[in-house]
Amino acid sequence: MMGGSILKITNEQLKEMYLTMLKIRKFELSASDLFAQGKIPGFVHLYIGEEAVATGACANLREDDYITSTHRGHGHIIAKGGELKYMMAELFGREDGYCKGKGGSMHIADASRGILGANGIVGAGHNIAVGSGLAIQHKKTDQVCVCFFGDASTNQSTFHEALNLASIWKLPVIFVCENNGYGISVSQKRHQAITDVSVRASAYNIPGITIDGNDLFAVYEAVGEAVARARKGQGPTLIECKTYRWRGHFEGDPVVYRPDGELEAWIKRDPIPKVEKYFTDSGVMTEEEIKKLNDDVDKMVKEAIEFAEKSPFPSLESALKDVYSDIVEEGRVR
Amino acid sequence: MASIGIIANPASGKDIRRLVSHATVIDNNEKINIVERIVLGAQALGVKKVFVMPDSYNMGYRVEDKLKSCNELKCEINIVNMLRFDGMEDTVKAADYMEKNNEIRCIITLGGDGTNRAAARSIKNTPLITISTGTNNVYPTMLEGTVAGMAAAAVASGRFDDSKFVTKDKRIEIYRDDELIDIALIDAVISKDVFIGSKAIWNTDTIEKIIVTRSHPASIGFSSLVGCKKIIYPEDDFGAYLDVNSGSEKIKAPIAAGVVESISVTEPVILGLDDEYEFTAKDRGTIALDGEREVEFSKDQKLVFKIRREGPFHVDVIKVLETAQENNFFII
Repeated sequence: MMGGSILKITNEQLKEMYLTMLKIRKFELSASDLFAQGKIPGFVHLYIGEEAVATGACANLREDDYITSTHRGHGHIIAKGGELKYMMAELFGREDGYCKGKGGSMHIADASRGILGANGIVGAGHNIAVGSGLAIQHKKTDQVCVCFFGDASTNQSTFHEALNLASIWKLPVIFVCENNGYGISVSQKRHQAITDVSVRASAYNIPGITIDGNDLFAVYEAVGEAVARARKGQGPTLIECKTYRWRGHFEGDPVVYRPDGELEAWIKRDPIPKVEKYFTDSGVMTEEEIKKLNDDVDKMVKEAIEFAEKSPFPSLESALKDVYSDIVEEGRVR
Repeated sequence: MASIGIIANPASGKDIRRLVSHATVIDNNEKINIVERIVLGAQALGVKKVFVMPDSYNMGYRVEDKLKSCNELKCEINIVNMLRFDGMEDTVKAADYMEKNNEIRCIITLGGDGTNRAAARSIKNTPLITISTGTNNVYPTMLEGTVAGMAAAAVASGRFDDSKFVTKDKRIEIYRDDELIDIALIDAVISKDVFIGSKAIWNTDTIEKIIVTRSHPASIGFSSLVGCKKIIYPEDDFGAYLDVNSGSEKIKAPIAAGVVESISVTEPVILGLDDEYEFTAKDRGTIALDGEREVEFSKDQKLVFKIRREGPFHVDVIKVLETAQENNFFII
């Protein structure tokens, strides 16, 4: 059999995944409030409703594995181990943020955890993921890279170039498409002549599957199989996760493009209560324990906000620091 | 001439078995091509109206547009007016509508075993033609759309004795506390997997038991584990069950596309029609029905499995066309 018994998850692993989903949800809800209060500059694109994808995918990764992300990247970064306080400080544009306050929401990166960066350019993560896959192959390690992207980015040439190279070189890259039904304000029906992005995999002779992206266990299982395959040198996989973003494309988007009832139908498929139900039905956690964990995460997010608020803005003198790599700066000096 | 119904499952042929086995992708454009050929085959032999399940890819509308644009549409295409959920419930609801609509005398499905299981939850009397576009395809068969459309037209004409080409199929009924909770057309697999997850089942390590309505070494899927020990035909008035990962004898069986697994099984035990097999769970687990994990159970829960001849009336396409030929159906 090609697959393994991926669904042997311990209760502790499950609780950890649930904690991650809560962190994402509560971080994003706070970011929404803080943006409305004018405390967060620039744009923020929230991940509320899609938590199961990042959580289920990253739960299969080691710290030395890589991810590439998108403009809607907070969830991916939290799931890969990013720290809330540095993320929040970055959103606030403060010196203690992941990019010293110069990147903001769409550029958070943490190379020490394999987070190769959120990305403000649609479709820009695909080829970075292929590059990391090529590096892994050259280093002859069994690391992998998970590349997160949206449905509309699969219309970009970068998607096709990336799948082609990853396929021909059998790179350890797992392409995880978060199909939330919209590219900005354009529904998938109006930007693609297909309903399932996964079918595009067949053009590159790699496995492509479609799963319920609001089912944590389905994501965990499917990405787990793809990761195992990639670690064994069997090449890339395309996994399409059907999901939905509850908020607009960005905070402040009036969202006039959704049909009536669509959001409400997806809210009924909220991935978080589904996991909570499993916990209470199976006796993994009681309702009191679930409430305590929720309270703990509320506290974590509150502390992250306090940390961000106390952090200073970057100095004027540092404006050009870290903008170019040392190699470029050395070249300039010469 | 009565009408026909078409249920084309847009989700079939795309699940995780493309990753964990060598299963093929059948995209929705290919399903549209098949539906198109069904319509052309059926209208050529007198069908005036075709009802199509609505789906996220608008397959029915696309077929209508395409055939109209090349001036080849002679019949009426009606998309069933129903609220869509883009899940298995759409197939159940569309089949229910078609079953209750007296105009519709034959239904054609495009999908795998899972699609037909969903349709079979609603279909009781309307004859069913099944075209394989899924993964484990024991119930449906590879069939050219034109031929399926012609056969549907012959069935819908009502000119022939159905008993010559239609068989009432068996099904497995699963009861919890005397309540029927679900059905399977081919096999029910009891697994130690505690989550439904990505639905498909492929890992033999976690399987405890299999109950089948039919079995054959040529059937892809877990029913082949029984089939490699004992062949049970659709017309046999019994099914069987056996234990997996148990027993002294190892067999090789095609449990998924391109995957022939070695696994130990016990001797199959015959389960007669309406006989009960009671299973008491030692721990949490799931039951996969026709290849997809669907039912979760908890420790100490009792489940009863029964094989009954309550499945759909399944059309043998070759036999219906032979009957049609013998009765001059094709002569103008």
